[in-house]
Amino acid sequence: MTVRPLSLRDLVLIRLGVAVNLVIGQIVAALLLPVYLDSVGTILVAALVGPRAAIAAGLVSQVLAAVLSGNFTWLPFGLVQIVIALYAAGAARLGLFRRIATAVPAGVGMGFVAASCSAPISYFVFGGVTAGGVTVVTTVLRALGAPLSVAVASASYSTDLLDKAIACALVSVVLRSLPRTLAARFPALAR
Amino acid sequence: MIGYIPGRSPLHRAHPYTTLALATGLLLGAFALTRPAEVWLLVAAAAVYAAVGGVLRSSARTALLLSLPIWALLFVVHGLLGPEPRAAVGPVAVSTAGVERALVLGGRITAIVLGFLTALSTASPHRLVEAMSARGVPFGRTFLLASTLTVLPRMRERAAQILEAQQCRGLRLGGSPLARLRALGPLALPLVLGALAEVDEQVLALDARGAAGGGRRTPLDPPPDSPAQRVLRWSVLALVVAAYTWKFWRLRG
Repeated sequence: MTVRPLSLRDLVLIRLGVAVNLVIGQIVAALLLPVYLDSVGTILVAALVGPRAAIAAGLVSQVLAAVLSGNFTWLPFGLVQIVIALYAAGAARLGLFRRIATAVPAGVGMGFVAASCSAPISYFVFGGVTAGGVTVVTTVLRALGAPLSVAVASASYSTDLLDKAIACALVSVVLRSLPRTLAARFPALAR
Repeated sequence: MIGYIPGRSPLHRAHPYTTLALATGLLLGAFALTRPAEVWLLVAAAAVYAAVGGVLRSSARTALLLSLPIWALLFVVHGLLGPEPRAAVGPVAVSTAGVERALVLGGRITAIVLGFLTALSTASPHRLVEAMSARGVPFGRTFLLASTLTVLPRMRERAAQILEAQQCRGLRLGGSPLARLRALGPLALPLVLGALAEVDEQVLALDARGAAGGGRRTPLDPPPDSPAQRVLRWSVLALVVAAYTWKFWRLRG
């Protein structure tokens, strides 16, 4: 089986996905929402193009987020973006983003899978401290007497389930709002 | 400040791959070392690396600002809430094993942040793109790294404009969490849909510049490389392999 090289259109969409991942945080911060939504672009690219472009969008986002913020502890979490891209492409193939009613449970599943990857990285590589909002939850749970591994896992699952459910719902709304002429340019949407 | 700082230091003049190889060596080395003394030797190596680049003061200051919240959380999570036995330090009893772990984790993060801040300050993005083109790196990869950085400010500006426009139309950003969540759609949708509508235009612009050709691009001013720098890059790789071999050998013992 030959692998089709990424087309110019794929590259432009990957760039768009990366920009959405990095800029949506600005809106989230203005709304003071307790989530990151830093994978909306990855999920969108997975639904529009497929897993390979989504993996590229996720990895480039992670590298640029680290470079632009100076927080290079985010680099190992690139693995989570790969998992999200693969899961989102599978969910898109099953048509789970066509309705919010199916997108939200798909997002909860994605949050579960993402947390299952991010919690071990956070615990084993950084001792549960990564300077995000999730670490504050870890610290509170630890102060309440939970063992560190339980505190890290609980914090990761609680934040990721909510974060990915909202991200998938948002992608579903974006895909449903696409004008027909624009949607017709993405053959993956028709599947 | 995070970003390239023009200069004439050896790191500024080095091939960008050498600068990045040294920073990557620090990153990989940080996870291979497991004792406080070893990790702090690596922090010292990162400081020497920054000094060679002539950016020790600016990089160390930024690294300190970025690492301080992590240090504070490490002290709380591992030092104050860590396992027994405990030792009294002034008015508080801290976990000795926890403090040792915090020193390792904090040292790792400090070395990584200091190393990459130095690389960012001394490796010019323009020279990096030229070096990648000279090595025959496909256009797509250089495009994604270089072009996304130019798109980001435009998207940020557009997000700010949408925010202001929707507020002028009466959108409230405050209220209950549910009300704030409902406001997400009117703010995020125009941003994403607007960007998607421009995709075809951007593809045409790139196509017109010959980006779809797929042939090897000739860089105008590729940065010079040297046998000494190649030896240095291979030495970094050998040191990283040695560090991991030592780590796993010690774990087995």
